[in-house]
Amino acid sequence: MIELKNIEKYYANKGVKSYILRHVTTSIKQGEFVSIMGPSGAGKSTLLNILGMLEEPTYGEYHFMGEDVTAMKERQRIELYRNHIGFVFQAYHLIDEMTVAENIEAPLLYKKIPGAERKSRIADVLDRFNMVAKKDLFPNQLSGGQQQLVGIARALVAQPSIILADEPTGNLQSAQAEQIMDLFKKLNQEENITILQVTHSEKNAQYGNRILTIEDGVIKEDVSVNG
Amino acid sequence: MFKLNLKIALRNLWKNKGFSLINIGGLAIGLASCMVLLIYVAYEWSYDKQFTNNDKTYIVYQNAPANGKIFSWAWTPNVMAKEVQEKIPGVKYASHSTYPRAKLITVGENKLSSKAVFADQAYLKILDYKFIKGNETQVLKNVNSIILTKSFAQKLFGNEDPINKTVKLENQEVLNVEAVIEDIPNNSSIIFDCIMPWALFEKTETWAKEGNWGNNMCLTFVQLQDNKFFAAANASMLGIYKRNQKDNLAEAILHPLTKWHLYSDFENGKSVGGKIDQLKIFLLLAFCILLIACVNFMNLSTARSEGRAKEVGVRKAIGSSRKSLISQFFLESILITFISTVLAFILVEISLPYFNNLLNIKLVIDYNNSGFWITLFALMIFTGFIAGSYPALYLSSFEPIKVLKGFKIKTDSSVSVRKVLVVGQFVFAACLIICTAVIYQQLNYVKNKPIGYDQSNLVQIAIQGKMADNKKLELLKTQLLASGATTKVTFFSNDITESGNNTTDVEWEGKNPNDVISFNNRGIGSDFIKTIGTELVAGREFLINAANDTNSVMLNEAAVKMMKLKNPVGAKIRHWGNERINVGVIKDFVVESAYQKVAPMIFFPSSTWGSNMIIARLNPNQNISSSLEKIDALVKEMEPNYPVNRKFVNESFEAKFQDEKLLGTLSNWFGGFAIFISCLGLLGLALFMAEQRKKEISIRKVLGASTGNILTLLNKDFIKLVAIANIIAFPLAYIIINKWLSAFEYRVPISFLPFALAIIISVIIAVLTVSIQSIKVAKANPIDALKYE
Repeated sequence: MIELKNIEKYYANKGVKSYILRHVTTSIKQGEFVSIMGPSGAGKSTLLNILGMLEEPTYGEYHFMGEDVTAMKERQRIELYRNHIGFVFQAYHLIDEMTVAENIEAPLLYKKIPGAERKSRIADVLDRFNMVAKKDLFPNQLSGGQQQLVGIARALVAQPSIILADEPTGNLQSAQAEQIMDLFKKLNQEENITILQVTHSEKNAQYGNRILTIEDGVIKEDVSVNG
Repeated sequence: MFKLNLKIALRNLWKNKGFSLINIGGLAIGLASCMVLLIYVAYEWSYDKQFTNNDKTYIVYQNAPANGKIFSWAWTPNVMAKEVQEKIPGVKYASHSTYPRAKLITVGENKLSSKAVFADQAYLKILDYKFIKGNETQVLKNVNSIILTKSFAQKLFGNEDPINKTVKLENQEVLNVEAVIEDIPNNSSIIFDCIMPWALFEKTETWAKEGNWGNNMCLTFVQLQDNKFFAAANASMLGIYKRNQKDNLAEAILHPLTKWHLYSDFENGKSVGGKIDQLKIFLLLAFCILLIACVNFMNLSTARSEGRAKEVGVRKAIGSSRKSLISQFFLESILITFISTVLAFILVEISLPYFNNLLNIKLVIDYNNSGFWITLFALMIFTGFIAGSYPALYLSSFEPIKVLKGFKIKTDSSVSVRKVLVVGQFVFAACLIICTAVIYQQLNYVKNKPIGYDQSNLVQIAIQGKMADNKKLELLKTQLLASGATTKVTFFSNDITESGNNTTDVEWEGKNPNDVISFNNRGIGSDFIKTIGTELVAGREFLINAANDTNSVMLNEAAVKMMKLKNPVGAKIRHWGNERINVGVIKDFVVESAYQKVAPMIFFPSSTWGSNMIIARLNPNQNISSSLEKIDALVKEMEPNYPVNRKFVNESFEAKFQDEKLLGTLSNWFGGFAIFISCLGLLGLALFMAEQRKKEISIRKVLGASTGNILTLLNKDFIKLVAIANIIAFPLAYIIINKWLSAFEYRVPISFLPFALAIIISVIIAVLTVSIQSIKVAKANPIDALKYE
């Protein structure tokens, strides 16, 4: 599903290149649950952003479902991205001015999905996450865990083939974190959604079936986990 | 998507109430100012355009050389219309008519002074007034007939049908009411209450019957079959005077009816503008105020970018393209513009009566006019797009990962753009302050310039009906003086505050035969000098018994200068073909424009050709209102058939400053609005800057800076901006004001004062505005700001 070849990312500052990623080459298959680990500043988030097409690599090739992302035009990239990628953030990043239902609806609007289907999909997702009663609340009226559930619901509603999660439980208490991780695992196993998460926690990494360890921009380790 | 965006825009407005208020309020004031000015411009623009063929209609102007210049006016001989109709190619109709003149119309005991026009039948074909009653084709054929306007008919007859009833003109002629027309709209150059046939004019004023190319006494309208004939017709008009009267130096030109009101200034016989110049200033002002309001909006919206950045980032991360973000922000700006427009509407409706009062006109919003709605809609969309353009492009350009990771947005570029915008606003504001100050200086200067006589407590009474008789006038004068209401009384052939009535038929020894010099021609009664309070420079006044003094004339100083007379007293002067002797020189006094030099004036005893005005000085020891009552009673006793027409000279004189006062008032008001809106913009910028520098300020405070230190720090930047704006504004304002002043012969020198005023006002306003905001930040507990880092 994802092929990375020799991805490099650096920032040039007064002639000095400061590398974030170096020679990253790996591939991720459909249905995998990959955890990216490593110390702070190792380049985990940058790698995730590159995979999520929010950032461009300075150098290297990135194939997403057989298509060369680096050679794409912005419009095509947005199209590909809308249809296949869902993002979950550490700080949830819900739009404060929108209600829960509206937040979930937003990506569907960008996908130009007709109104009736939007409604049924939102209802479906709300139902699955047990949030029907909260659909008209605003993000600041929810707890952190609930907000993150909305964040995941928002990512899921567009029916992506891959979910990219940047420390999804970083701001949560352990009970809530567990709930979120269970959800990810369930999505991965039951719906065959590819999941890529950046995490600091060994425990969370155990939910997945593969761990990539990055240090100083280089992949140090790539091990399978027997969940 | 549209619905959701709309909802979010509304929620955003509600959430940031203060911001929304500043934003909408500023925009509403800007829009309202712009709308009022546009309504005013449209009103002036619509003058004389209510007639069907207004584009093919022309007024004959006469270009007459005099005093080394060419004077142009719409006064033509009575024979002009006939000649034009017969000889000029492409003419459909040509009409001659009088200007509206005051005439007494009576029905039984109902006596009304009316504005009357005497005209031929072609007049009504050219100017197709709307007939309510009566046969359009038959009117003005009958000599003793009259057409009334609707409201005048109502005043005369109440609700009765006036057709075929009779009215009396000047208590002499009995006229049959033939038709009733709609009231003449205010935006017409010629406004009257009734029309009577030209033949009646000739009947009552026998001198008008005789065709005379030398006597320019009426107004000539020409309607062409088609405008393609204009060039040929206009060329053929040029020599029309000469063809009919050999030594007549005047030329005639056709001036479009639609330009009559706005393009009334002529130089060398060519139209060089007029009121249109003022209109252009107002149009520019309207546009600039709107632009300032838009700039404000841009400033405030981008200043809030921090708050919106996250939303932009999230939207991009869940698949929004930049285009849809841009359209979202445009939607928001158009929504705000819409709310502001509604508010502006209310403001306009509230303020229109006040403005009508101020400008002495009747502006109304014509809700049935599709043009109005189209303009309004266009204005709204235009404002929305201009105001929304920069925020939309700026906000939508945020890169999602940066804002989501919580990086501070790089604000250098946007701050400098906003600084430029604020400088632009203040350039405009400073220019307006300077211009307004100079306009007021000029007005004051001219008003306080000695006009050569004492206007205060001076009244003029029109001589009407039976009063127009030398003996009766003398009697009235004696009565007026005896009553104690007045201290001095004299007669004058014209309204002392009005121009007109001039002659070039004055000759003297040593005159260059090629020179044509125009003299104001005035008849004065005895005690003239003492009554109006001017001075006799040389010689003597006319004798009290003017019958023994018919061979004498007097001159004013300007005339003496122009005639280059070494010994003015005793000089022989031919006035209208009669040998006269100049007996005295009167000090110059202003009857025409107070902005121009006094023109040469020749005086003759008013008893020769009659006077039109009694001028009386009120007794300063008497109560004014009782004096006026006494005067009215005496005049009424003398001529009971006419309503007394009495006015104060200083009030009439004040009317001369109408245009400049209007300009002053409008630039004062709208300048004030512009400055106010600019302040809102500055407030927005200050708000943003203070927010941006919160951390810096907190650290400085921790290090020991006082509130005062912080305020200076924050204000310094803004004062710099305002100073730059003033430096740009100075030369700009200088050019504008210099151009405006150059139109006046008497003008104030451009001084340092208005410029100093501009910089002081703008700096004070800026400091106040910025301090209101920054004092909050400067006083805040530094820990609150630093805690989150």
